[in-house]
Amino acid sequence: MKFRNMNWAPYLLLLPSFVYLILFFGWPMVQALGLAFRRDSQILPLRAEPAVEEAAVTGELERGTTVEVLDVEVFETQRAGGLLTDRVFWLEVSGTDPEGETITGWVLRGQVFVADASRSNEGAVRANSVTLRAEPAQSAEAVAELPRGTEVDILEWGKTENRIAADGLLQKPQNWLLVSGETAEGEAVEGWVERAPIFVEDATISATGRVQAGEGSKEWTLDYVKRMVRDAKFSQSLRTTVILILLILPVQFVLAIIMALVLQSQIKFSSLFLYIYAIPLGISDLAAGLVWYTIFTQSGYLNSLLQSLGLIDRPFIFISSANKEWIILAIVLAEIWRATSIVMVIVVSGLQAIPRDYLEAGELFGASLWQRLRHIILPLLKPSLQVALILRTILAFQVFAVVVAISGGDVITVLANEAYRWYDIGAYNNKNVAAAYSGFIMLLSLGVAVFYLRAVRTQEEREAAG
Amino acid sequence: MTTTPTTQTAAPLPRVRVRDLPVEQQRAIRARQLRRAGTYAVAIAVALWILLPIWLIGTLAFSAPADVRAYPKQAAPIPFSTETMEFFLNAEGVLPATRNSIVVAGLTLLLSTAISAPAGYAIARYFFRGRDAYRLSILAVRAFPIVILAVPLAVTFRTVGIYDEVYSVALMHTALTLPTTILVVSSVFASVPRELEEAAKVFGCNAVEAFWRVVLPLALPGVAASAIFTFVMSWNEVFAAVVLTLENRTLPALILYNLDKSGDPFKFAGGFFMLVPSLIFIFFVRRYLFNMWGQITK
Amino acid sequence: MAEIRIENAVKTFGKVVAVNQVSLTVHDQEFVVLLGPSGCGKTTLLRTVAGLGMVDSGRIMIGDRDVTYLPPKDRNISMVFQGYAIFPHMNVFDNIAFGLKMKRAPKEEIARRVREAAELLHIEEFLERFPSQLSGGQRQRVAVARAIAVHSGVLLMDEPLSNLDALLRLRMRAELKRLLNEIKATTIYVTHDQIEALSMGDRIAVMRNGEILQFDTPTRVYDVPADRFVAGFIGTPPMNFLEGQIRRENGTPCVMIGDFALAPIPEMHEELLKRDGRSIIVGIRAENMETLSEPAPDALRVQVLVVEPLGSQNLLTIQIGEDVIKASTHPDFPVAPNQDVWIRFPGDKIRWIDRETGRTIVPDLEKLVSAP
Repeated sequence: MKFRNMNWAPYLLLLPSFVYLILFFGWPMVQALGLAFRRDSQILPLRAEPAVEEAAVTGELERGTTVEVLDVEVFETQRAGGLLTDRVFWLEVSGTDPEGETITGWVLRGQVFVADASRSNEGAVRANSVTLRAEPAQSAEAVAELPRGTEVDILEWGKTENRIAADGLLQKPQNWLLVSGETAEGEAVEGWVERAPIFVEDATISATGRVQAGEGSKEWTLDYVKRMVRDAKFSQSLRTTVILILLILPVQFVLAIIMALVLQSQIKFSSLFLYIYAIPLGISDLAAGLVWYTIFTQSGYLNSLLQSLGLIDRPFIFISSANKEWIILAIVLAEIWRATSIVMVIVVSGLQAIPRDYLEAGELFGASLWQRLRHIILPLLKPSLQVALILRTILAFQVFAVVVAISGGDVITVLANEAYRWYDIGAYNNKNVAAAYSGFIMLLSLGVAVFYLRAVRTQEEREAAG
Repeated sequence: MTTTPTTQTAAPLPRVRVRDLPVEQQRAIRARQLRRAGTYAVAIAVALWILLPIWLIGTLAFSAPADVRAYPKQAAPIPFSTETMEFFLNAEGVLPATRNSIVVAGLTLLLSTAISAPAGYAIARYFFRGRDAYRLSILAVRAFPIVILAVPLAVTFRTVGIYDEVYSVALMHTALTLPTTILVVSSVFASVPRELEEAAKVFGCNAVEAFWRVVLPLALPGVAASAIFTFVMSWNEVFAAVVLTLENRTLPALILYNLDKSGDPFKFAGGFFMLVPSLIFIFFVRRYLFNMWGQITK
Repeated sequence: MAEIRIENAVKTFGKVVAVNQVSLTVHDQEFVVLLGPSGCGKTTLLRTVAGLGMVDSGRIMIGDRDVTYLPPKDRNISMVFQGYAIFPHMNVFDNIAFGLKMKRAPKEEIARRVREAAELLHIEEFLERFPSQLSGGQRQRVAVARAIAVHSGVLLMDEPLSNLDALLRLRMRAELKRLLNEIKATTIYVTHDQIEALSMGDRIAVMRNGEILQFDTPTRVYDVPADRFVAGFIGTPPMNFLEGQIRRENGTPCVMIGDFALAPIPEMHEELLKRDGRSIIVGIRAENMETLSEPAPDALRVQVLVVEPLGSQNLLTIQIGEDVIKASTHPDFPVAPNQDVWIRFPGDKIRWIDRETGRTIVPDLEKLVSAP
């Protein structure tokens, strides 16, 4: 009765968010693991002979490899039902495999992206019969009929728009061709016909292409992980990321506590200070990086200041491969500048939860500010600090745009930057290794969270044991 | 025994000078004054630390390109010039990218709020089995690195065919902001006393009417603040945007991608331009931010 | 007819039984108070009548409608909430008008009734103000005005005075009582304050642990409490309890408090003889004992520990053996701490309470609980 209805309400309300989260968190997570650990269609095997099932494999090419097209062979097969004849193209290609050897072999047309294949103007009918129409539309008046095998000249290529057909269903855009040919009676006719039943000869196949698909074996592999680890930049980015965290976090927490205490003390204009201190919450890491770039760049404000103070007579090149420490400093400052407010807000709410009575009692019984901080405030803040620590550390593993904005991502690199570089089409275009980096970051984040939770728990156990 | 209080106009109290007080009291008063001054000093110092860099990049954004490249740099935009900003805005792809960013952020705002509002209400008002588990998983999900989602999502979007579309970035951003928004909205709803809803129900409302007439008006400021914050988060997001877009880039993605090719004027104007919405929006929602982030940690 | 009938209501929260097979009938236009300590189930019971929590089993009738599973809005009731629950985003006028607006009453009617209710509660000048601009007492009046403006036959009140300060509470009590007399609504009023209950109710249902211990007029609840808990809960100071031993003497029972012999009234002889040889609890109220400054043959000599001069009476704290009790005397009674006084126990004022069951032993016991 009524109760049944009541009980379902919360679940119904939760449903959209639940579904969304599964789709956009759960599913990508699984995908990422798959990408990182399963060999997918990244490798294309080249075969010794075309169109032979068990032909030997002459070698393997990685996706993205440029290849030369040496030869083309066409095979005709009948599709099931005999309605259409398929022409299957095999290409003989040669390219360089990951080990550096040049290999040659046969691949299917679809597995290689062939540039510059122009469309020809010759074709043939491959359905049993086609109807030529006056206009490129199904409802147009029929002009003539052409039987299978008729050769046609293609005069024009056209495309229809999205439209609603008579039965109310949306029809997708279709390719139509304006062709001319001879009917069985020998009459020359011209009309529009759909693309599908017409086989179009490719006039030329260019000489170069790129491997775009492979045959994944879907087996588990650590190859991508190994690739990631073996890369020179891996240890460098890992080290840099950790150093950044170790430098940034302590300073941030001290600063955040100071800011929070300022906001809690009853000084005038505290709401103005509240606004100012909250501003960095809305600043993206990219903008923050650019802001500090203006300071540290060669013609930037730091140099300007030093010069006008007379401390230097020539601009000091902070951002260069010779001055890695300065770049790190710039990044550290930028991150502290940007992200301290996040910690501050958490600390403020933690502070507000401390009853005034405790602090007043402390003051009454003689505790100085420093003593109150140490013995009353900080212990009671511990839960908030813990949460802030976990959150901030996890976010710090993902630092990305600041680094790129300040130094371009080459001299100094961090884990997230590496993930991006491996993903980027221009560079490696290897989404598997990118996924491996992502997984690695995730692993570190989890590890840190667990470590923090454990560390605090054992501390409590120790305290409980007295 | 009764004592009648004597009421007579009291003579004005004499002003006491600090140095006339005993030394101990003097010291105490001075110490307090010093402490107050110290607090103000610290407060102002931190405020300057935050504001100065913004002022600097703003100066460059509103100086002529020649001044932007000059060395040493000037500390104020004199002479004032909109040339650099114009150059930035007219640079190829900037206006479309800005439009994309706005659209993405707007879609994210709508979608995120629409999905999180019912979820937040459910958490706030109903006690149901799995409530704690759900809340815990929301908290956990919030800590997910965006990196691990962006790459596979990009691959999936490619396969499905919605790659490099504005709405696909919005979908991603919604997923990112959803946990925060749900937690915030649920605390906003929880802060509306249950009694108000009950009163509405007693005096003639069904559940939906009670929500509409009583809960929603009171929750609206908090929900609106959360929506605005979602907008800002989406506007700022870089990594996923740059991974998910190619032609239809959002502004951060565009700027990041062009960093190595662009000159200083472009960078500075771009950085400043990205800052401005944050400055404006944070002003409106500053009070709510503390509620928002504070609640999330519970 | 707005008679409220609760039949065998049961409400549990998990393992806790908040309302345990409670049956109660409130006559049309009667003012019934649900009284008890916190956790006794009175608010839960009220809320089932309101529809803010469905009973697990049982029936609730309002008039001749079975409303057991109807939502609140369909029950034609009004309620004043403990925290007032007036809407902060509406002004006073709109708050009072709320119930009428939901019923789609015409605007002139709404304006008239709002004004009427506001005048009754003396808040006509606040109609344009918002709740944040009102004091606690004023907000409480708005809550009451909202409830009476609707003119429903049933009024439910959940501790409406408990958030007011003591002085205000006193004033509002009298005002509410007068107001509700005029309104002529069937009222159920929940409170933990027994003074409020005694002062306002036509009948009081004393509740404990989800059950009604006694449902009777204030006088009867005060004079003839059904059990030890009710006796100790009602009255300021609460009833005194002494331990007595029943002895048989020449076929009549007498009760010994230490060496002192109490002579029970003849109506009690039969019941007491049944318990011959056992102990029994002697209950008597502070104001019902006669305190003498001179010895008398049928009076017990006791020592006074504390004297509290309360203005209208002197409250003496007295030690009798192991027990400490309170006696009330006229303010001019001459007594000082550590003095001796003599106490007489009038037989008709003694309430005999069975030690095992805690129930008051009254020959016609059934008359006490659940008066129809």
